[in-house]
Amino acid sequence: MPVITLPYRYLERLVGLPREAIVERLPMFGSDIERREEDHVDVEFFANRPDLFSTEGAARALRGFLGLEEGPVRYETAPSGIAFSVDPGLAEIRPYLGSAVVRGLSLDEEAIVSLMGLQEALHWAVGRGRRKVAIGLHDLARIRPPFRYLASPRDRRFVPLDFEEAMSMEEMLERHPKGRAYAHLVAEAPRFPLIVDAGDSVLSFPPIINGELTRVSTGTTDVLLDCTGTDRRAVETATTILCTALAEAGGRLETVEIDGVTTPLLAPSFREVSVGECSRLLGLDLDAATVAGLLRRMRFGAEPTGTDRVRVEVPCYRADIMHDWDVFEDVAIAYGYERFPAIPSKTATTAEELLSTRLKREVREALCGLGYLETMPFVLTSDEVLFGRMRRELAPDVLRLLHPISEDQSVARTSLLPLLMELLEYNRFRELPQRLFAVGETLRGFVTGLGTAAVSCHGAADFSEAYAVADALCRELGLAYSAVESDDPAFIEGRRGALVVGGVPVGVFGEVHPEVLGAFGLDHPVAAVELDLSALL
Amino acid sequence: MTKSTLSLNERRLLAALAPLGTADAAELGAILGAAPDAVVQYANLLAQNGELATVERVVEKSYDLTDEGRQYAEKGLPERQLLASIGGPTPMAELKAHPLASIGIGWLRRKGWVTIREGVVERAGEAPEGEDERALLAEPLTDGPGLRDLLKRGLAVERETVGYRVAITPAGRTLVEAGLDLREEVGQITHEMLLTGTWRDAALRRYRVDRLPRRAVPGKIHPYQRLLDEMRRILLEMGFVEMGGELVQTGFWNFDALFQPQDHPAREMQDTFYIGGEADLPDGWEKVRRMHEHGGETTSTGWGGIWQESKARQQVLRTHATALSIQYLAAHPAPPIKAFAIGRVFRREAIDPTHTPEFEQLEGIVMDEGVTFSHLLGFLREFYSRLGFPQVRFRPGYFPYTEPSVEPEVYVEGLGWVELGGAGVFREEVTVPLGLEHPVLAWGLGASRLAMLKLGLKDLRQLYRSDIDWIRETPIRGRR
Repeated sequence: MPVITLPYRYLERLVGLPREAIVERLPMFGSDIERREEDHVDVEFFANRPDLFSTEGAARALRGFLGLEEGPVRYETAPSGIAFSVDPGLAEIRPYLGSAVVRGLSLDEEAIVSLMGLQEALHWAVGRGRRKVAIGLHDLARIRPPFRYLASPRDRRFVPLDFEEAMSMEEMLERHPKGRAYAHLVAEAPRFPLIVDAGDSVLSFPPIINGELTRVSTGTTDVLLDCTGTDRRAVETATTILCTALAEAGGRLETVEIDGVTTPLLAPSFREVSVGECSRLLGLDLDAATVAGLLRRMRFGAEPTGTDRVRVEVPCYRADIMHDWDVFEDVAIAYGYERFPAIPSKTATTAEELLSTRLKREVREALCGLGYLETMPFVLTSDEVLFGRMRRELAPDVLRLLHPISEDQSVARTSLLPLLMELLEYNRFRELPQRLFAVGETLRGFVTGLGTAAVSCHGAADFSEAYAVADALCRELGLAYSAVESDDPAFIEGRRGALVVGGVPVGVFGEVHPEVLGAFGLDHPVAAVELDLSALL
Repeated sequence: MTKSTLSLNERRLLAALAPLGTADAAELGAILGAAPDAVVQYANLLAQNGELATVERVVEKSYDLTDEGRQYAEKGLPERQLLASIGGPTPMAELKAHPLASIGIGWLRRKGWVTIREGVVERAGEAPEGEDERALLAEPLTDGPGLRDLLKRGLAVERETVGYRVAITPAGRTLVEAGLDLREEVGQITHEMLLTGTWRDAALRRYRVDRLPRRAVPGKIHPYQRLLDEMRRILLEMGFVEMGGELVQTGFWNFDALFQPQDHPAREMQDTFYIGGEADLPDGWEKVRRMHEHGGETTSTGWGGIWQESKARQQVLRTHATALSIQYLAAHPAPPIKAFAIGRVFRREAIDPTHTPEFEQLEGIVMDEGVTFSHLLGFLREFYSRLGFPQVRFRPGYFPYTEPSVEPEVYVEGLGWVELGGAGVFREEVTVPLGLEHPVLAWGLGASRLAMLKLGLKDLRQLYRSDIDWIRETPIRGRR
């Protein structure tokens, strides 16, 4: 979730309340306070509310939530007369464009930092790492309309932001930090997206980098916005949120003609919701007037249109409203989560535990009774631990992660004994004897199984101890087994046995091979038992 | 201390000491048939146990003649032997021929026993026996000016011997006078003693209760497992049915069926462990696709865009227990349902003190006619208070598959409000494609976070790569 910095002075000015009164209510509005500093507070808003990712957007919502204003803000737009064209050659590359002009801004350093923060948060939450949308803001005084969004040859040269010399767009993907970070979004395209002005000066190479030419600074008053992307809805959302935030910051919005279509529209959408459905979902007894009033606090337009109906005007920036229940959640937030009755339903059901839970408990009872301590090792481990150090042959059906973080955790355990050997290694300086066991899931291929293993490490650990434990465990679990010679290379020849149930080998026991001990850094003998419990489920 | 805590050895020593009052350890050792070192050990125990005896370290000096000294003791000092060889005036040259001349002439002159004039040596008077000569013949050698001279001349050496003198105290004497049991002690009561009844006459060795024996550790259930079991017990008591399922899930059940958009960051390979291979989709999967693309038959808009079947077929290590809930509901679409799961889930995180790539998650669901968001909050309050957190508050939250969503917080002394899990009512986008006709209340909780609170852990790795001393030392009875 993005962390948004809210500078107190700016926030107080936009909301109209002292900081304490605001910050105190933030959690109940739906945000996590990350940290409080002397001049600002850092808060996390949820990923579904990108309209809150700026001080301006957060203040707009808080003025409603805190009861200072209600109903929707309607943003006026005037035509700018500026035209923008989109090259049909972008259809397979990055076809969608949103744009607007904002005039009369007076941006100080703080406002620019805030704007950059909003852009970054939108790139993440709406743009999915700039793929669906990338945003550019340009100093309008430096460029001449009309503007063209085109599919450019990849060797077009211009000076990218933060650089002094011109380079080709291909070079930017290798040399510019943003180029390296986002190259994967365009690298395969035969031509690159490019925005130029009437004089063919470059504004931007979306979604990679703007040109140095149109850098926004404290002297900038008029701004051209471009949002380009691969998803029409996301482009509209980002455009709307940026425009309305800039309007909240004091800018005047003007529309742009994109291939003859006026944008942005900033038009609300409408829903008619059922008050009864809302009450049934929330478990409250609400009437239409109450629901409408609560929604207006959340900055919706809302009027009752009957005893059970409320007509809801959803502001253009509320991209999260997909379903009537999204509206009902805002009713709940405005009502106050702390005011809900919070009583469980009388739903009558009979408890039942899993068979595997019961089996695990029985294994625990048996092994704890034999003096073993339970451990809960990781499922993820390595070929080296499972097979290499155990002198065992690599199992062909070991489940392998496609993108492990490290070699140490790149496969899923096929059995538990190697993990216990590793735990003995971690604890090799602890007092002996050490008797450890684990019971839990194992994986063979994609299939989850259940297994257990027990190890006993001390100066006199031997085959007989392992056999006795294996026998006790099988007896307690009601496993009618027969023991035969084993050929498991993890154990010493002549000191190892296999447990066979119904002709199927299900386990092994014996004295762990000294080479295995050595591989795990152990210098005392280990008596071990390993048992697959899957057949008991 | 009373005599009852004395070992047999201590009692025997005390008994031997009583008639002597004070004795050397060596002497006592001879009486008791024990090494002097052992006597000192018993005596020290007597000294510690109620000051029944005192032990004094005695350092004694003794002297021995060197080989040279022993020769002179037999034949006289060199100067004495030399003097005896001088009859009348003797030329120095002649005297020098004597084997002891090189040592003796100097001493003759120093002791003034001769005069030397113009190369001729003559006796000077009586030459009485000196202190050094008497010391040389003393038996034993005793300290004095004569012996000091012998030491300086290297004819004798000094030795130190350390001995111990043990003395009985009045308290010890009182104890002896009261009578001491000097029978042989019995450590282990044997089968034969029990059969024959001789245990009645045996002097059983007494043990000290202020000395801890070697610590015993019972076989134990892991502290974290006990916490998981406690959560399970609470939910069973509340009438919930336990759910289980595979560790490997399809993208469909793990994400799509839960209305998680296909481009959601959590689905990226940076966050989720993919394992390759494609799996079949369940019947009716097209309804889920329609829901994603345009909201199906609900008031939802859906996510828009194209829903890719191939992404739903991908296989992952389950990232949350909600993947189990949704499958359980698909298999049990008729209310009432109260079900829970506690199982391991996987997130692609590097291991550090507060992150592990696998951890346990608890998941609870309730589906019934007429259940509401208020009921959900009620279940949360009930569950957390049974878990030992009576103070619970609710804050708005966000999860792609629930609406409304809530983040429960519990009050923890010293930490304040701590977020513990997430919850909500399953969206219609989740329930409608599965044909569920009633609201589903759902909540989830990362159990390893809870373990940190409940077990006072600072490092999550302790749960999975446990220091066994931590398991040994964590009491079975948990904090309440």
